[in-house]
Amino acid sequence: MYGKTSSVGISLEKIRKLKNNSNFTPELLEAVERYDNGSMTPEERISFENQLKDIDFKALVEDIRMTLLSIETQALKERLDEFHKDIPENRPVEKSTTKVRFLSFSKIAIAAGIIIALGIFWMFSGSSNEKLFNQHFRPDPGLPTTMSSSDSFVFYDAMVNYKQGDYKTAISKWQKLAVKTPENDTINYFLGVAYLADKNADKAIPFLNKTIYNTESVFLEDAHYYLGMAYLKSDRKEEAIREFKKSGSEKSNDLLKDLQDGVSSYK
Amino acid sequence: MEHVYNIDSQLQLLDAIKANNSVVLKQLYTANYYKIEALVLKNNGSKEHAKDVYQDAFIAVWKNVKNDQFIPENETALQGYLYQIAKNKWMDILRSPSFKKTKTIQHELNVLDKNIDQNGHEKNEEQEFYRKRLEQTMEAFKNLGAPCKELLTAFYFDKASLRDIADKLKIEENSVRTKKYRCMEKLRQLALASKK
Repeated sequence: MYGKTSSVGISLEKIRKLKNNSNFTPELLEAVERYDNGSMTPEERISFENQLKDIDFKALVEDIRMTLLSIETQALKERLDEFHKDIPENRPVEKSTTKVRFLSFSKIAIAAGIIIALGIFWMFSGSSNEKLFNQHFRPDPGLPTTMSSSDSFVFYDAMVNYKQGDYKTAISKWQKLAVKTPENDTINYFLGVAYLADKNADKAIPFLNKTIYNTESVFLEDAHYYLGMAYLKSDRKEEAIREFKKSGSEKSNDLLKDLQDGVSSYK
Repeated sequence: MEHVYNIDSQLQLLDAIKANNSVVLKQLYTANYYKIEALVLKNNGSKEHAKDVYQDAFIAVWKNVKNDQFIPENETALQGYLYQIAKNKWMDILRSPSFKKTKTIQHELNVLDKNIDQNGHEKNEEQEFYRKRLEQTMEAFKNLGAPCKELLTAFYFDKASLRDIADKLKIEENSVRTKKYRCMEKLRQLALASKK
């Protein structure tokens, strides 16, 4: 509180001082200009710097500099408005294209190069489990989309997205259904498979685990298989083997053989 | 006096900016505007917002170049720096709670400028006093009579020599010197008189 009041006092005092100051002379103005643009002789410079040791003198010099900066800044500001009128107006308003316009061909080429390099790096450097996953993984073909009842419309609508490879849309639609019927093994199964197809093994695992709770589920065999695949992708080999064994399907047995042989196709 | 500056060469670019070379400033200004416009339009802003935030950033960059606070590290460093500052400024405005209420950008910029300096630190009272004086003087210069404004702009912004100005105005070099001083005096009085 007191600090604030006193600081206002200082400011007012400063202004009064500047107003009364008859020390702003043409000579001083030119001295500041010459000091700042380095055109003083060494002797002048030393004498000027000596004067700057005086606090009042220094404050006045700083104030002159502030005035000069104000002039330049305001002049620039007004100049920018003139520049602005000359920015070519041929630009489309669409947002999608604005981004692309700034990509020169060379930038695209560099980006493409990086993507290719990353792809090659990924292919040859991924863990053997990851390779095995990529080699074997095929998304579940899904269910035939017959429009039986209005209730299952959303489910089959999402199935269409799933079959088209639009896993994200399918997931968001199924998620809404899963909120209503969290124990539905069909929805849990396809959510798990969709997440896995969308390369999100961590999210796939809980849904597939929910599916296998229902030991009567028609999806049981496949759910164990895809759960194994999800573990394989996450580099959790032991758990993957356990799930493949539980599944017992032909696909699972193939994978078990490969896993135990330590075989990868990139030998 | 007309040098051909290569905009890609950062050091030459910095020198040209320090000299307020209008050709280079304009090139820099027009070449980098759309990147900011795209950013602002994509993030809840208008073209008017984009222009204000960009000009504000441009002036900040210009000041930092003048004070040697910017050291280029690659061939497009300054352009990237300009983009980054404009982006930060726009993000600050978006985050400010009053943004949704009022859409008048100048108000937003002023509020931000008042509380936060270039490095995002709160300004102390000394800086606050300086900032206020600067703002008042800029405003005073904006409203200064045309003859004084033109003379001071030619000398201090465009770095024309007294000789050049004297030739143009067809008066003695010494009268230009006197006029310049009188104009400065007038400007400083106007700035001190303004109550804000």
